Amino acid sequence: MEESQFTHTDSLRLIEQMIHTAKREQKDDGKAWILWGWLLFLASVFSWFNMRAGWLQPFFFWNVFGVLSLVLLAWGIVRRFFGGRAPVVKTYTRDLYEKLNTGFFISLMLIIVSMNVGVHPRYGFALLLGLYGFWILIYGAVLNFKPSLIGAYITWAAAFVSLFATNLEHTMLLHALAVLCGYIIPGHMANNEFNKEKR
Amino acid sequence: MFKDLDPILHSQLRLAVMSLLIGVKEAEFTFIREKTSATAGNLSVQVQKLKDAGYIDVTKQFKDNYPQTLCRITPKGVDAFEAYVKVLQEYIRK
Repeated sequence: MEESQFTHTDSLRLIEQMIHTAKREQKDDGKAWILWGWLLFLASVFSWFNMRAGWLQPFFFWNVFGVLSLVLLAWGIVRRFFGGRAPVVKTYTRDLYEKLNTGFFISLMLIIVSMNVGVHPRYGFALLLGLYGFWILIYGAVLNFKPSLIGAYITWAAAFVSLFATNLEHTMLLHALAVLCGYIIPGHMANNEFNKEKR
Repeated sequence: MFKDLDPILHSQLRLAVMSLLIGVKEAEFTFIREKTSATAGNLSVQVQKLKDAGYIDVTKQFKDNYPQTLCRITPKGVDAFEAYVKVLQEYIRK
């Protein structure tokens, strides 16, 4: 880019182009929603099968999910510290997400621990869904992404219904449905939009 | 050249840098270089001019054993950018 005199039309075109470039950085590729969505979905569906068939201990697949989450978390940390460095740009959206992620993780741990010290899983899963809904709503609101906004309300509806679920099998199905509508579908839609824009 | 336009901003590269920074919290020098396709030397000079004008803050630090230069727009820079865009809009209306 040469230092030269240029017209007001050139100025406006340049501003528009650069703002568009910066805006692209705000777009989310939805990959995290897809990854966590499928993991949560499979854990709940396998747990449902397991509870019906009585193969293993009822929460076996949730324990597998927990171990996988720890492995993914460790991999993320290793990648962050030892991986290649991409040029850094910190957007206001990304900054907000990082802070909210911390809050989400702490709240999630509180609910998981509470289930291990006596809170009935039926209520525990309802609280988890309530927390997912909150995070999905914020994501949808910040990025003005309608599928997530709709997904948040479906997740909350599932949370409310699961409070009255008569058995854990129903809770697992409601959990799977909520994750499908709140994580997986919006995640794939966000990913499609991101790839379309990239082309 | 338009008389009313801020001469600091009325330069392709400086305007590109400001337009990039207006939408983000902070950006690394290498990111700006990549997006503007400028040479490191030229960009360095223009960044310094913006810094001298008080339009951006430049922080130099080390991250993972690599030197890192972070740029962020200042409130004065935001005001100057807005004023620049306003003048442009007036030219278009004429």
